[in-house]
Amino acid sequence: MMTSPFWRHYRTLVSQGIQAELADLERLVSPVLFALTTLLLFAFAIGDVEPALRIHIYLAETFLTALFALQINFSRLFEPDRQDRVFDLMRTYPVDHTAWFLAKYTLVLAMGSATLGPTLAFAAFVNQSPSQPLFSWVVVGVAAMALAGLAALGVLLSAMTLKANARQILYPLLYFPLATPVLLAAVQSSQLYLGSGQITADVRAWLGLLLGFDVIYITLGALLFTELVDES
Amino acid sequence: MITAEDRRELYLGAILLALVVGHWLAAFYYAPVDEHQGEVYRIMFLHVPSAITAFASSAALAVFSVLGLKQRSEGSLALAKATAEVGLLFTVLTLATGSIWGRPTWGTWWTWDARLTTTFLLALLYCGYLLLYAAMPAGPSRIRACAVLGILIFADVPIIYKSVTWWRTLHQPPSMLRAGGSTMEPEILWTLVLGMVILCLYGAWLIRFRSRNIRLGDTLEAASFDQLQT
Repeated sequence: MMTSPFWRHYRTLVSQGIQAELADLERLVSPVLFALTTLLLFAFAIGDVEPALRIHIYLAETFLTALFALQINFSRLFEPDRQDRVFDLMRTYPVDHTAWFLAKYTLVLAMGSATLGPTLAFAAFVNQSPSQPLFSWVVVGVAAMALAGLAALGVLLSAMTLKANARQILYPLLYFPLATPVLLAAVQSSQLYLGSGQITADVRAWLGLLLGFDVIYITLGALLFTELVDES
Repeated sequence: MITAEDRRELYLGAILLALVVGHWLAAFYYAPVDEHQGEVYRIMFLHVPSAITAFASSAALAVFSVLGLKQRSEGSLALAKATAEVGLLFTVLTLATGSIWGRPTWGTWWTWDARLTTTFLLALLYCGYLLLYAAMPAGPSRIRACAVLGILIFADVPIIYKSVTWWRTLHQPPSMLRAGGSTMEPEILWTLVLGMVILCLYGAWLIRFRSRNIRLGDTLEAASFDQLQT
């Protein structure tokens, strides 16, 4: 199975991607630092809040910060490929385009997890209260589900805007509206869970929506990425 | 020089515009006054058909985008771009009429209600599509990138449509397509349905007319470039 051309391409592209990321560690560290700084700013700006508001503030801060930090990760995904025209050369090579998408998607998931983990932990820490613990593995799971959808969108938009002028402006303009359904479902399900402490029918409904968008974005990502990089 | 085809297009546009005006007259003089909202509800006859046309534009954008990916032709891209422009026009009209209706009814021009916010996002997505079109050089890359975005935009429309049932919102729930039938009086319902049909037809005409303009612009640009070369 692992020796088929598809998996060989996938493995090579993932290892090439990891090496490119490790060669420039600043790319990995800067979104995390950005997230931590933003959370600190939120904490200073908002100050102490009533217990009833704490969950809302915690989730709003966390998911917004994660969204901005992940956008930094996603928008620079093809930066190493732009050097020495690697991207254009790759398009002409007989590389399986779905394997290429999956390799980039895996890389984004790994980089996104490296950003999301510290963001969730630090946000729970700065908003903590002895009577109301905020860190929850269910919220971590919801954030991971959100990352699965956002990462597919990130790969697709990065490839889409690669040749566009004013990419830095265009990318967030497209990314934020398209990310909104995922973000809304993640925030609502987390909020309902933290409020009740149980996975109720409402939580499940929102998780269903989140899963639905994950499936839509991953499927469209795999199908449309091939169209985007097709040389013909 | 105006050709016979241009003349036919313009006549068709004039007829559709006359139908739009005729519908507005029906909205003012045929439809009865609403017993709860009074006269102010009549803006719904422009608001709802605009919203339907804006949503239908996103479906048309997806169709032209799929065609663009299949055919890789500038013709499909011109149609898709025209659809995004018309979609943006009707989305802005929906937001504006909703806002005008909201002031006397809700007491505010704007609120971050689910339906309003998601419709605003649709307007942003149409803007994003037009910016992407403008930011990319003409050619196969632009056709592909715009087509991909067109399909992604369509994926967001169900969220906008279902937002009033998923979230607690100020916006009223669907009153036409609901279990147990419509709650509207027949005169109001038929005037509204007529408005939807007419505005969708007018939108389709605008898309056709505008896409021809875009193609003409491209041809002229290519011709002037060729002239500069020689």
